[in-house]
Amino acid sequence: MNVAVSPTERSLSWRRMLLVALLCVLAPRAFAQASGPADQRAQAVTQVVLGILSYARWPVEPAQLRLCIVGPTQYTDDLVKGTTQATGRPVVVQRLLADHPDIVSACDAVYIGKLSADERSRLFTSLIGHPVLSISEGGDQCTVGSLFCLRVGDEQVSFEVNLDSVARSGVRIHPSVLQLSRRRAPAS
Amino acid sequence: MRTPKARPTLRSVIGRGHLILALVAVTLASVSLTLLGVLALRVYAEHNLHLIARSINYTVEAAVVFNDSAAATEALSLIASTEEVAQAEVFDASGKLLAQWVRPETGMLSQVELALAHALLEQPISQPILHQGQTVGSIHVVGHGGSLLRFLLSGLAGIVICTALSAWVALYLARRLLQGITKPLQSLAAVAHAARSERDFDRRVPPAQIAELDSLGSDFNALLGEMEAWQSHLQSENETLAHQASHDSLTGLPNRAYFEGRLIRALRSAAKVNERVAVLFLDSDRFKDINDNFGHAAGDAVLVAVAERVRAQLREDDLVARLGGDEFAVLLAPLHKAEDAQRIADKIIASMDTPIRVPGNTEVLTSLSIGIAIYPDHGATPGTLLNAADAAMYQAKRLSQGGQQTADSEPTAANVIHRS
Repeated sequence: MNVAVSPTERSLSWRRMLLVALLCVLAPRAFAQASGPADQRAQAVTQVVLGILSYARWPVEPAQLRLCIVGPTQYTDDLVKGTTQATGRPVVVQRLLADHPDIVSACDAVYIGKLSADERSRLFTSLIGHPVLSISEGGDQCTVGSLFCLRVGDEQVSFEVNLDSVARSGVRIHPSVLQLSRRRAPAS
Repeated sequence: MRTPKARPTLRSVIGRGHLILALVAVTLASVSLTLLGVLALRVYAEHNLHLIARSINYTVEAAVVFNDSAAATEALSLIASTEEVAQAEVFDASGKLLAQWVRPETGMLSQVELALAHALLEQPISQPILHQGQTVGSIHVVGHGGSLLRFLLSGLAGIVICTALSAWVALYLARRLLQGITKPLQSLAAVAHAARSERDFDRRVPPAQIAELDSLGSDFNALLGEMEAWQSHLQSENETLAHQASHDSLTGLPNRAYFEGRLIRALRSAAKVNERVAVLFLDSDRFKDINDNFGHAAGDAVLVAVAERVRAQLREDDLVARLGGDEFAVLLAPLHKAEDAQRIADKIIASMDTPIRVPGNTEVLTSLSIGIAIYPDHGATPGTLLNAADAAMYQAKRLSQGGQQTADSEPTAANVIHRS
C-alpha cells in the first residue's frame, strides 16, 4: 500500500494517506463516476473503525493489528485494503468465516457483518474471556455480545458501546470514546 | 489701585504647591501601577487563553478523530461558554470547519472588551489537535478582554478616588500649615503696626510653633525692647531739657519766660470769667551785702531759702518764679480780693524773720520788699502788670525796707514812666 503514496505527500496522517491510496487505486473509476454515497459511507466506516482501534488498548499490545471481517458486510470495501496506524503499527485485514475455529488466536479485532442468530451466538461464545475487540456493522443486536455497534447514516457514521461487553473483554477503551458513544446512543 | 499682576497670597501658593505635589504623585503612581498591571494581566490572559485552548483540544480530540461535528460543538460550547472566550473554532485535518462557538453579543460593553482583547492580546490562538502523535485537526480561539476591562475600569475608579482623596488631604494639610505660618505673622504684623502707629512698645509677639517664625518673633521682641528703652530714654531727656529751659537751676523755681507764659494764660482766662489776678514783685533788700560779706555760696543759700519760704506761703495753684538775680515774682490766680494779696505779701515778709543758715556756720537775716499789681486794676497786659508791680516794689523799698506796697490806681503807664 505504501507504494501508492506519492513522494510529494508529506503528511503522515493516516486519513490523508488513505485518501491518496484510494485515489490512486480508484483513479480510473473516479473519473468515470464521482465517488458515490456508498463510497463515502465506506470511507466513513473505515474512519470510525480505525478511530475505535486507535483508542483501544490490549493487555498485550500486538506488533501488528489483525482485523478480521466475519460474515457478509456492506461497507468494508475501503477497510479491506488495510492500512497503517498513526503510531506506525500496520493493520492487517483478512476475511474469515464465522465458524473459523481459530478466530480467537488469529484476530485482535473482529468486524461482524450479517450473521444468523445462531452463528452470532456461537461466535460470541468463542470470544468470551479473550481480549478481542468486536464491532458489529448492524446496530440491531448490539445488546448481545458485541463491544461496538455501528450506525451508518447518510450524514455520519455513529456507534454505540456495550459497556458490559467492554468490561468483560479485557480490552481497554479510552474514556473519551465511551463518552462520545454514550452521548450519541439515545440520539440515534 | 490694582497692580497689573496680582501677587499670590501665601494661602494660594501653599495650597497650589500641596495640590500639585499630591496630583503628580497620585498620577505617577497610578499610571505606572496600571501599566504594570495591564502588562502582568496580559501575560496571564494569554496564558489562560492557551490553557483554555489546550483543554478544548483534549476534550474535542475524540470527536475530531471520529469526525463528529455535533460532539465537537457540544464539547466546545461546554468549555468556551464558561471561559473568557469570544470565539472558538475546530477544524479537521483538511481545514474543514467542524465546530464553531461564538459568544453571543451582550450590549456595547462586549464590543469594547473585544476591541481591548484585540489591542492587547496576540490572537487568535491556534493549536493543532494531536492524536497518537499525528495532527488530526486544529483549533482557533479568540479571547475577550472582560477581566482586562474590569481591571482598567477599577483602576480608573481607583485613580479618581485616590486623586480626590489626596487632593482633599493636600488642601487640609495646606490649611493646617497655613495656620501655623499666618497666625504668628499676623500677630507680628499687629504688634508692628501698634508700635509704629501708636508708639506702643509694651506689646510682645507670642511664641510660635515654627522655629524660624519663633526666632523672628523673639528677635522682633528684642528689637521692640530696645526701641522701648530708647524711647523712654529720649522722653526723659526731653523732659529734663524742657525743665531746664523753663526753670532756674539754683532754686528749682520756674524762670522768667515760664512765668510770663503762665501770666499770659492766667490773664486770658481771668478776662473770660471776670476774675482778678495779682502779680507780686519781690526783691531781696540786703542781697548784695550778703554776697559781698559772706561770699557767693552764702548768697546762693539765701536765694534757695527765700525760694523755699515764699513757696511755702502760697497755695498749690499759685506760682513763684525767679526772674533773675535776687528778684522773684509771684502769680496769685484767681484772686478774690485785693486784701488777700496784701495778706499773702505780709506772710511772705514775715517768713523772712527767721535767720538763714549759710555755709561757714553763720546765719544771716534778710528781708523782702514786695510790690503788688492787680489785674484789671493796675494793668491789662503782662508787661503793664509787671511794670506796675516793679514800680510798687521800688516804692515800698523807698518807704521802708521789708515792706509792701500796692500799685497806684492811676493809669499805670504814666506811673511806670515816671518812676523808672
